[in-house]
Amino acid sequence: MFDLKKYRKKSPWILHYNAGSCNGCDIEILACLAPKYDLERFGVINTGNPKQSDIFLVTGPVTYRSRERLVELYTQMPEPKVVIAVGSCSCTGGVFRDMVNVEDGVDRYIPVDVYVAGCATSPELIIDGVVKALEILEQKTKEMEKPLKLFREATLQNSIVNRRHTALKVGEKDEED
Amino acid sequence: MKQTINIPLGSQHIALLEPVRFKFECENEKIIGVDSDVGFVHRGIERACTTKFKFDSIGYVVARVCGLCAITHSLSYTVAIEKLLGGEISKKAKYLRILLLELDRIHSHMLCLSHTCENAGFEAMFMRIMGDRELVMEIQELLTGNRVQFDYISIGGVNRDLSSTVALKIKENLYEVKQKVLGYMDEFTHNWSLSLKFKGIGALSLDDAYIFNAIGPLARASGLNIDVRNEIDYLPFNEVGFLMQTHSDGDINARNLVRLNEILNSILMCENIINGLPEGEIFTKIKGKPKGEAIVRFEAPRGELMYYVKGNGTAMLDRVRIKTPTFSSIPAFSHIFVGQDYADAPAILASFDPCLSCTAK
Amino acid sequence: MKKIEVSLGTVRDVIGDFYEYKKWHFLTINGLALAENKMEVQWIFSKYEALDESVVYFAQIAYTDVIPSIVDLIPSAIISQRELVDMFGVQVEGSEKGLYLDEDSLQSPLSGCSI
Repeated sequence: MFDLKKYRKKSPWILHYNAGSCNGCDIEILACLAPKYDLERFGVINTGNPKQSDIFLVTGPVTYRSRERLVELYTQMPEPKVVIAVGSCSCTGGVFRDMVNVEDGVDRYIPVDVYVAGCATSPELIIDGVVKALEILEQKTKEMEKPLKLFREATLQNSIVNRRHTALKVGEKDEED
Repeated sequence: MKQTINIPLGSQHIALLEPVRFKFECENEKIIGVDSDVGFVHRGIERACTTKFKFDSIGYVVARVCGLCAITHSLSYTVAIEKLLGGEISKKAKYLRILLLELDRIHSHMLCLSHTCENAGFEAMFMRIMGDRELVMEIQELLTGNRVQFDYISIGGVNRDLSSTVALKIKENLYEVKQKVLGYMDEFTHNWSLSLKFKGIGALSLDDAYIFNAIGPLARASGLNIDVRNEIDYLPFNEVGFLMQTHSDGDINARNLVRLNEILNSILMCENIINGLPEGEIFTKIKGKPKGEAIVRFEAPRGELMYYVKGNGTAMLDRVRIKTPTFSSIPAFSHIFVGQDYADAPAILASFDPCLSCTAK
Repeated sequence: MKKIEVSLGTVRDVIGDFYEYKKWHFLTINGLALAENKMEVQWIFSKYEALDESVVYFAQIAYTDVIPSIVDLIPSAIISQRELVDMFGVQVEGSEKGLYLDEDSLQSPLSGCSI
């Protein structure tokens, strides 16, 4: 049988978006995919389509005009997904912190799993980050695959019946038991 | 009835390194109108230069305008400040500045060439050129300590000396790069599938190059003799063997050949610098606060870069105006797109070697 | 660098007379905030194949003035004019806002910030 989760770890696809960086980190990502560093030996391939990607590489501090695109690309990616912030400015804003048209770092808009520092970051660090992201991706996949079991009564939240809060993953202990 | 289709390209696209959005108005296959949105990367660096940073640190801030031509940005700013302060730097520092400027040009042109090949569908050539580009990145790292953002130039000179072992390594690697580039020359002129994608496509005539004020390899491929290295005397480019490279066709192929010839010329310049590097200090202390205004131009890999700096005698400057090469080429870009096939648009765009983070600052 | 003062009324005629498209290279339009709610607009040109020869036409204006467009004389000026509108919040004939700035960004960031 075709087993998607097995291949997802072996061949994660990368989506790259420049949210306002100086190009320095972008050309280092490109260098990663090129022969010397060759990220593709991990099965990684750079794709332009968010709907087929597993790892989201973001560079640059988020500028006002790229905010919407960033969030939209993130929401279009299917679960499980991992976000890597590449470079100092995407981690914290870096040298662009507090500039007028900049929003200081990617994690103001989307949750970030791996932070890769450096201005400009080096290909070795990016490879380390991606390998780390693969572990997180596997963990997230496992989390997702655990079935949910409904233990308690449904609650009424904002006049909507909600069972999500009462659901527990199998194997987790119910605190009230 | 005429019917047109609007096709967007960007802001996120596999063919684009940076966010830019083009809206092509197409009639069947032909592009009849272009609208571009280049403001995705606007960060407000010009304002920060006058409100946030003191003049002696701006050299490192403006390097972050663009990662590819970082060295040209910090060099232009530094030369402008040195002009205002009236200091003279040593000859050795000048030579080392040219050395890094030309190494940067080599790696930037190689990136552009590989990207053009990728967008023409020639993936193997992309990989080859990117692989060989690492030879240049390696010596940049040896010389400056970083692969991309060098921060090598400071007001009064440069930050690191060139040791004899590094000089030897640079010569070795450049020799190897030279052999590879000669190989590419052959591919780019004779490879059938590349010529099919490049020859006669995206052409800019000489007259249009004048009218739209084209600069850099784009203008030189059309036969316009504009190279700022020929028009300035802050750095001794003519002493180290600078020769202007032009072509007359004006199409993508001509731009590629101009870039290849420039790489060969830059390699020659680097070799000349290393062979005839003068003795002396690499750093001269320059004191004072900038006062007055200065315009400094330099040839970045993509064309003419202009800095206008105005100081008022304090540590904070009045104005730093950055005019980047891609910014002033946008009218020419839009003109070239009109009348081309939409399928060629990514390859034409890559052949301009646009740098949007420069454009939007 | 040669600086020549012009007024807004005459700038089009002056540049029209001066600009020969095969001799002069149009660099950019630059803005400069001055004291007392004034600004300076500079039209910068350089000569082809000459050693560092540049000419700057400048005019001192108020922020409320309308700057005439030179796009019909120099087509490549269009992008500089749009930037000027965005950065200083002045009006230039035929150029609209929105090259760089969004609606919620700080408007006209360079106007008056150096005073």
